[in-house]
Amino acid sequence: MRRLLGIIVGTILASWAISASADVVKVGLIASYTGAFATWGSQFQQAIEAYQALHGNTVKGPDGKPHEIRFIYRDAASQGPDKAKQLAEDLILHDHVKFLAGLELSPYAMALADISKEAKVPVVIMNAATSSITRMSPYFVRVSQTVPQDVSPLGPWAVAHGIKRVYTIVSDYAPGYDAEAYFTKTFKAAGGEIVGSARTPQQETNFAAYMERVLQAKPDALYMFQPAGSPSVAFVKAYVERGLKAAGIKLLGGGETQELFLPNFTDDIIGTVTSMHYTETNKNPANLELKAQLKKMFGDKAIPDIASVAAWDGTMLIQEAVAALGPDADGLKYIDFFRGKKFDSPRGPVEIDPVERDIIQNIYIRQVEKRDGKLVNVDIGQVDMVKDPWKLDNPPKSN
Amino acid sequence: MPSFALTVFLDGISYGMILFLISVGLTVTMGLMRIVNLAHGAFAMIGGYVAGYVTQNGGNFYLAAIAAAAAAGVLGGIAEASIYRPLYRKGELAQVLLTIGIAFVTTGAITAIFGAFPYPVLFPDYLTRPIDIGFRDYPAYRLFLIAVGAVIAAVLWLVLDGSIYGARLRAAVDNPRMARAVGIDVNRLFTLTFIIGCGLAGLGGAIGAGVLSLEPDYALKYIVLFLVVVIVGGEGSFGGSFVAAMALGIIDTLGKYFVAEAAPYLLYAAVFVLLLWRPKGLLPPKSAT
Repeated sequence: MRRLLGIIVGTILASWAISASADVVKVGLIASYTGAFATWGSQFQQAIEAYQALHGNTVKGPDGKPHEIRFIYRDAASQGPDKAKQLAEDLILHDHVKFLAGLELSPYAMALADISKEAKVPVVIMNAATSSITRMSPYFVRVSQTVPQDVSPLGPWAVAHGIKRVYTIVSDYAPGYDAEAYFTKTFKAAGGEIVGSARTPQQETNFAAYMERVLQAKPDALYMFQPAGSPSVAFVKAYVERGLKAAGIKLLGGGETQELFLPNFTDDIIGTVTSMHYTETNKNPANLELKAQLKKMFGDKAIPDIASVAAWDGTMLIQEAVAALGPDADGLKYIDFFRGKKFDSPRGPVEIDPVERDIIQNIYIRQVEKRDGKLVNVDIGQVDMVKDPWKLDNPPKSN
Repeated sequence: MPSFALTVFLDGISYGMILFLISVGLTVTMGLMRIVNLAHGAFAMIGGYVAGYVTQNGGNFYLAAIAAAAAAGVLGGIAEASIYRPLYRKGELAQVLLTIGIAFVTTGAITAIFGAFPYPVLFPDYLTRPIDIGFRDYPAYRLFLIAVGAVIAAVLWLVLDGSIYGARLRAAVDNPRMARAVGIDVNRLFTLTFIIGCGLAGLGGAIGAGVLSLEPDYALKYIVLFLVVVIVGGEGSFGGSFVAAMALGIIDTLGKYFVAEAAPYLLYAAVFVLLLWRPKGLLPPKSAT
């Protein structure tokens, strides 16, 4: 009797285990749901759920069998690369994920370089924007952006539109340095002059003194790079409060005016010009799809941002990879599948660089305007299929 | 030249006023009942979020500020009766752990209710514009902060110096045992003062939202600043916390203006020096000496 029971239980467990590995492809998503970067986790998750609700979460592999792509979400709690690494180890060892994804901050991604190589797990980076990251592991592919890529078209645009003197204020961390370096480089190369620069402490919200210095320098425009959230809101507030806007100094920036954050600003932000790889008001079919689905599932307050489009595209790529190669392919084979992929993202046409495994995309110059009583970004310029300029400046020694 | 010097000075003072408003409650908690209350920033944060909610739903800004103070005060009263009172005898480690826990819980609750994005308090239009103060334009909001802070500081000073309540409070801070011996109900005094302190913190969080941005991690992000004001000023000393808040506000602003990269270090270097010079604070109450 006991032996029979043992055989029955054993069979159930075995079939359970077999079916688990064959039918479900797990993707470990590491992002912050709490702490200073808490918005990334929910933005990623909403976009992933929206994509899977619309396009299904099951794909048919080359063997004809259906495979479910299941995301497992883990909170990095804004606690830094060690936490991200620990979560990745956990996901790989205990949950047997086939892919890792998410990663809003560059240090998180960098911390996973060794693990990805050791465990041979592809990592789909959905934000971390430091250029050198994709060179750190052959298992990295990025579907978001790099800071130099987003920043470099703005300098030439500014010069072409009569802005000759700029004061730069960036946040004192790696993406800030990248932004400062590439804006300064491309602006000066186009004939502009940098009349002053400052670096503000991360998470600073008290910009009064910095604005005072800008007023003294009398530039044509102020270029900002601040983390999204309270620093950028406080920065624009100070720009207006201190009379810089009234003095005719234009405001140039990047991700600070994303539609997700515009409700925090007053009408004073109208006229701010930014360069970004995603303008929320574009009419691409994929974008309309994303927006409609988000609204349907999460209500009117759900607004897509760069996290949403990266997660949307990342999910699409993973699902297509499993459909093409099946659930148990080698990590590098999945990466090879991504190389050279061209597709239509909600942001516009996009390509995954076959050599660098990084994203090539349009960069849009846009301006904040008021349409139908709402603050939105409207495209006023575009540079097509921009490759990450850092990679062009720093060719690889080997791949 | 002088116009920007005045601007920097006014910036520093207005920042200091917010620090003072929020920290004055903490200096009493730490000086009077000797409780290390690391959750004090949470009351300021709650006040800020209440004001944000009211103004975002069309409410009048001044009503919102009063609602903020009231909400923080009421929550302070409830917390004092239920959580803080058992803490009096428990020792500093228990207080630190429990109050940090309260701060984390409040952060989580705020995230759950209001979301993780920055939460604006909508100030009336005339406060968001610069106004002409004679030789240049200066943000009206900052002048408003200075005015409110000065008025409240003056009221507190009058109460402290001129009322029976103030006399009892000063006595209890200076020597709680003796105060009890002469019949002052120190516990009831403390409850009332704790409520007022939390209310002031809530008010500071509400009107100061343009300087100290409202986000769920506000409670833990800024508690260091408030603690610095209290310690540098002298625990239990109202005058001390006022002077310390002004000094730190000005040093911070001056630092940002002249040595932008080193500004945060400058502030803490100043704290270091000040504490070496006056370990018990700038204006410590008699019980400390």
